[in-house]
Amino acid sequence: MKRRLVSILTYTFLTVTAVFSVFPLLWMAISATNTSQVVLSGSLVPGTHLYDNYLALLQNQPVWRAMGNSFTYSIGQTLLAMVICSLAGYGFEVFHTRNKDRLMSLLLMAMMVPLAATMVPLFQMMGKMGLLNTAIGFVLPSVSTPFLIMMFRQSARSFPHDIIEAARIDGLNELQIFFRMFFPTMRATYAAALTIVFMNAWNNYLWPKVIMQTNDSMTMPMLTANLMSGYVVDYGMLMLAVLLSTLPTVIIFFLLQKSFTEGIAGAIKG
Amino acid sequence: MKKLVSLILVLLMAMSLVSVSAVAEDGSHKLTVWCWDPAFNIYAMKEAAKLYKEIDPAFELDVIETPWNDLQTKLTTAGMAGDYSTLPDIFLCQDNAFQKNVLAFPDMFNDLTASGVDFSQFGAAKTAYSVVDGKNYGVPFDNGAVIQCVRTDILEQAGYTVADLTDIDWDRYIAIGEDVLAKTGKPMLSSTAGEPDMIMMMLQSAGASLFDAQGKPAIAGNEALKKAMDVYTTMVKKGILVEVTGWDGYIGTLVNSTVAGTINGCWILASIQTAKDQSGKWAVTNMPKLPGVEGATNYSNNGGSSWAVSSNCKNTALAYDFMSKIWGGSVAFYEDILPSSGALATYLPAGKSTVYSQPQEFFGGDTVFTKITEYAGKIPSNYTGAYYYEARNAVAVAMTTILGGGDVDAALAEAQSTVEFAQGV
Repeated sequence: MKRRLVSILTYTFLTVTAVFSVFPLLWMAISATNTSQVVLSGSLVPGTHLYDNYLALLQNQPVWRAMGNSFTYSIGQTLLAMVICSLAGYGFEVFHTRNKDRLMSLLLMAMMVPLAATMVPLFQMMGKMGLLNTAIGFVLPSVSTPFLIMMFRQSARSFPHDIIEAARIDGLNELQIFFRMFFPTMRATYAAALTIVFMNAWNNYLWPKVIMQTNDSMTMPMLTANLMSGYVVDYGMLMLAVLLSTLPTVIIFFLLQKSFTEGIAGAIKG
Repeated sequence: MKKLVSLILVLLMAMSLVSVSAVAEDGSHKLTVWCWDPAFNIYAMKEAAKLYKEIDPAFELDVIETPWNDLQTKLTTAGMAGDYSTLPDIFLCQDNAFQKNVLAFPDMFNDLTASGVDFSQFGAAKTAYSVVDGKNYGVPFDNGAVIQCVRTDILEQAGYTVADLTDIDWDRYIAIGEDVLAKTGKPMLSSTAGEPDMIMMMLQSAGASLFDAQGKPAIAGNEALKKAMDVYTTMVKKGILVEVTGWDGYIGTLVNSTVAGTINGCWILASIQTAKDQSGKWAVTNMPKLPGVEGATNYSNNGGSSWAVSSNCKNTALAYDFMSKIWGGSVAFYEDILPSSGALATYLPAGKSTVYSQPQEFFGGDTVFTKITEYAGKIPSNYTGAYYYEARNAVAVAMTTILGGGDVDAALAEAQSTVEFAQGV
């Protein structure tokens, strides 16, 4: 009886939180099919204006170019971040130097500093390096993040050191051990990292906005912000843009959902 | 492994190619502009470029769409980093933030006083927003003259016409509001909770500011501000003004007929007109004035923006010529942009144009644009300074405290000390 009561309470709680989480997404999808006036009236009935909103969006904003840019920058940033951070995390765990833990603490401290605080010096740095308004300047500050390094280091703890020793005896060099032994075993961690980095890269807004100066380099979050900046906001069109902008991260998350939970659990368990 | 390394190398090379193509070429007849709103500012800028092309056929204009908040972030970052190389030739700046930016980053702006733009042809209160130490740093653009928009059908149900709401003070407005609420069940106004726009409009209508002439905060003991707070809280308590959450909620109350009217900058016309089924049911008049306050008028300003020429401009002669001949010299240009964008000028000669005196069907056939241009000429100036937004926010906090039953004088004194702290006084 008591167990049943606990179960009822648990499911009630989960249902309520699920409704709160899913409702905004549902509202977004429904609003994308309605006119602005209907959206403002708070209607929850799907409309017939999806195609009109799409045409209006195409006419107003370079939506496919923004989508292409978002993909290019996000994939580039994700791949670079995965390679750099996993190498760093692996290195921190496998190799031993006197000050590596101090260095790790320093890195973790850097995690506490928000971008807004480092933006001006970063901007100055990029300016001096001639990287303002370039894709490299765009992705460079995000290719190495303390969180990812920590995540890969934690995962590397569960990687048996005996295998490394055995591989060394068999004549593999350190990079070969990393790519041939560590990389295939840690797929779940890579999947989790991929989801996190891709999502962050896709939603990255402040830094790209500051460093990129042309309409050609517009990404989806910038496009969405543009749609909200006018005296008159077309909410139907805006919601369609938000929906399109959300889809890639949702798809990636659902594809890698299983590995994501495994990877995160692995990193936490250590 | 080799595959991976080559993939990364290819990726880096591809990205550097992207970056090369992203750098804009700098032609001698080309200007780059940052501004926001494709239906309004961007449209106007592109139309201006078309007209200027008739004077200079080689002229090119590149508009980079940048929402205001981002534009401010970019100005601040560039200003603090001391690297102006990313700035465009011309950018649009909100009037409320203009003096703040000039005072914080004086090297970022070109002094336009002797640029050839005749500033006497613009509304005095509007021009004042971009003047610092007697120097003009901005070319005024869109009009933020405050208007009162009312639903004539709702007023009619309560036995009133728009004439009853014209040239009145807030005491009379509240009396009418109570009556309308009792007879129709509809509040007169709506406002976004926690936003002090309404208070600021009332304050400027009496020619009062949150700062004195020396730039020191003048919030505590400011009689006009106290009266404005009193009017606002009375309206909220009596249900004449309904507070809503967020901008979307505010627009919702207008297009869904929740309220009988609104008071805001004239740019609100565009949002009102999205409710096409309400055509002919709206009328425009001036706002009520503060009763018993010296210098009180029925005219004020909210919002609006002006063009600045950045110090990174490579061809100032071209930028000045473009600004003075089109933005500060062409009635035809303002006639051209009005019908499609509703962008109302502060360039006074444009107000006399026949395009401005066209009756507007949506507003019962009234010549609203002529009316608004007249209002714009009667607005008292106010001082915004470098800490305007800090002061606005402090006033918003005070407003919430007072609405919650707090003491007016204590709340304003607290706001005063918050701004003084921000100023480091």
